[in-house]
Amino acid sequence: MIAINPIEFRLNRITKAYGKLQVLGGLSFEVKTDRIVAFLGPSGCGKTTLLSLIAGLKTPDSGEILGMENKTLSYLFQEPRLLDWLTVAGNLSFVLKGRLSGEELTKRIDYYLQHMEMLAYRNVYPRRLSGGQRQRVAMARALAYPSRLLLMDEPFKSLDLGLKYELINRFLGLWASEPRTVLLVTHDPKEALLLADEIYVLSEKPAQIKGYHQISVPQAQRQLTDLALLQLEQEIIRELIEQ
Amino acid sequence: MKASTCKNNLITLGSLLVLVLGWALAAKQAGKEIILPSPLVTFQHLLGLLSSAHFWRHLSATLLRGLTGFGLSFFMGLLIGLLSGLHPPFKTFFQPWLTAIRSTPSMALILLALIWFKSNAVTLFVTFLVVFPIITQNVSEGLQQVDPQLKELARLYQVSTSRVIREMYLPAILPYLATGAAAGLGLTWKVMIAAEVVANPPLGIGTQMDLARIFLQTAEVFAWTIVVIMISLFFDRLLTSLLRRRLFYWE
Repeated sequence: MIAINPIEFRLNRITKAYGKLQVLGGLSFEVKTDRIVAFLGPSGCGKTTLLSLIAGLKTPDSGEILGMENKTLSYLFQEPRLLDWLTVAGNLSFVLKGRLSGEELTKRIDYYLQHMEMLAYRNVYPRRLSGGQRQRVAMARALAYPSRLLLMDEPFKSLDLGLKYELINRFLGLWASEPRTVLLVTHDPKEALLLADEIYVLSEKPAQIKGYHQISVPQAQRQLTDLALLQLEQEIIRELIEQ
Repeated sequence: MKASTCKNNLITLGSLLVLVLGWALAAKQAGKEIILPSPLVTFQHLLGLLSSAHFWRHLSATLLRGLTGFGLSFFMGLLIGLLSGLHPPFKTFFQPWLTAIRSTPSMALILLALIWFKSNAVTLFVTFLVVFPIITQNVSEGLQQVDPQLKELARLYQVSTSRVIREMYLPAILPYLATGAAAGLGLTWKVMIAAEVVANPPLGIGTQMDLARIFLQTAEVFAWTIVVIMISLFFDRLLTSLLRRRLFYWE
């Protein structure tokens, strides 16, 4: 099952420094299509930098990124990044209008809002929403955008526990209906265990790969209380604190 | 809230009363209408003005000129402001021009314009040069305050430049544009009247004020001054009420 997915993109010995501070210390890995790949690491280890490099917002000091040419991206940030003066639906169409129009656009917006249970709020301005609702709109926007690759930068970080797991489940439901390659960076092993097919554990700065794990149990069947996941969590935590 | 508004209104009323009283006392002390006309005489002159036919012709000429000058300044200011806010080299390029224009005394601009243009164009030219840098500055400052995270979002999702300007930049700079417009409109009337006084276009409040001065009709100068204050207040209120409704509709 793993072997049949072709490669989406590949990183070869990527390094990046800010002044004298070495952030990424020669990262190499490849990501296969329609897989959810998580990068776990301590706060400030360069996870966001890694995503910025893949998104093309920054350029690496050395090494190469292959297979990212002309790839459509969507990005889910830590904060919702909604435009206050556009309605919920307006925020989605702000990014979607270049790709879709007319009825197709409306349909797609409503479909994703409905799955995030935000359809009732389609004409509401973001200031009237709670933090969790705003993040749901941001997630609907990232998923509604017809991208090949979705980059997620700790999108569940500022949410409380109940909301976090609810959003993870909604995300997985929508992802299954329209699979695409997903890169998730997070500092929370539980998030990675629930979401990812593959998990890379990163070291402190300069970030290097400390561990690599695959999870074959389908996401829909995973329970954080499963013995296998608990054991994997222990192993990951050990890798994280051993550094 | 309501009680304090009521109280404030009373204080404002008291303040105006003291002002008029002080004016009346000073006029009595001066003793000559040519030096300082009393509030009553001024008011009588004002009523006389309002009932005369030529008043409305001069008023509408000044209004038309002021709004044209302001409109031109607003659109040019918006354009140059957008250019310099979005492309820093433009800002660097325009900065010396704007600084030079802003540091030039309005009277110097009026005198130069008198040498170059006919009287009607003088007033427009001067108003434009005074007001347009204010709008430009506010627009370009507003653009610098746009959240860099939103700019990054627009870039990542490859949103077209025209949509970014219309749906992201313009709404984001609206408060700055409003501040610039209010300041610019206030200045428009001050500069416009000054230019009219010096350039003497056939129709215009400034021309009438200059004539009244020449014939030592001080009360008439006062009456016209009150008219100008009213114009300024009217447009300020109009702009504020229009903007308040439009500005933060999303909150």
